[in-house]
Amino acid sequence: MEDVVGRIREKFYDQIIKFEEKSARRIYLDFKPADIQAAVKFIFTDLGCRLATVTGTDMPQGIELLYHFSYDRSGQVISLRTLLANKKDPHIESITPLIVGAEWIEREIWELLGVEFDGHPNLKHLLLIDDWPEGKHPLRHDHD
Amino acid sequence: MNLRTKALTKSLAVFHAATSPCNNCDIEVLDLFTPRHDVERFGITLAGSVRHADVLVVTGVPNYKTAERLKKLYEQAPKPCFVIAIGGCACGRIVFQDSYNSPCPVDEIVPVDLYIPGCPPKPEAMIAGIIKLLNKLKGK
Repeated sequence: MEDVVGRIREKFYDQIIKFEEKSARRIYLDFKPADIQAAVKFIFTDLGCRLATVTGTDMPQGIELLYHFSYDRSGQVISLRTLLANKKDPHIESITPLIVGAEWIEREIWELLGVEFDGHPNLKHLLLIDDWPEGKHPLRHDHD
Repeated sequence: MNLRTKALTKSLAVFHAATSPCNNCDIEVLDLFTPRHDVERFGITLAGSVRHADVLVVTGVPNYKTAERLKKLYEQAPKPCFVIAIGGCACGRIVFQDSYNSPCPVDEIVPVDLYIPGCPPKPEAMIAGIIKLLNKLKGK
């Protein structure tokens, strides 16, 4: 079986801020927001992992995004973690041009948490109504 | 009891409208049509379109999107159309009453004839509710 985690660590040796192995099958890798797209491209295209989902959380220190990848041959789940420190205007490069399946989850994170995905082809409301007031993000802590 | 009411009580066609439920009530509604509970023995069948339905079964809390669609569904239904709210969400919004995406409960959008609370209600409770509706139709 291929050592996917080892290959990621080798390839992004300088970019990985923190490596966490909660168990043999649950791995977390911290990246800077600017390095996420390259890492996603390597993991998805070259290693053949599957994008399970993307999750976003409003943390005290910023908006945290987790890109969960599943390597089905070994059952490992690899999560790329990144922190968007500027809560006023969080920006990150979209991964939809690389993975079509990420389109809806990025739209959902955009409307619920207010993260702008640069390069997303179709950034419009998914779950909320189309005339939802701009700048109101229900899953932010400051939302009343 | 006139002929129309008599025919109606023997053959209710049900349209199931899921207005953003968690699917728990829907699974229990599905149970009603399985051999164990089998509401077809009372002449109740599922209709593929609300235009062919006598009863509109609503599950879940309407959000801004589904509230509009629920109203449209009711307008399309031939009258008389009976509305059954199934589950705590459809009956009174329970924990979602302060939600950002929940404008109003079901009974402010369409007139509800029968409330079946529970999270989810048991199929037996739904059958008991339907029998109450049928008895109401028969004037009992």
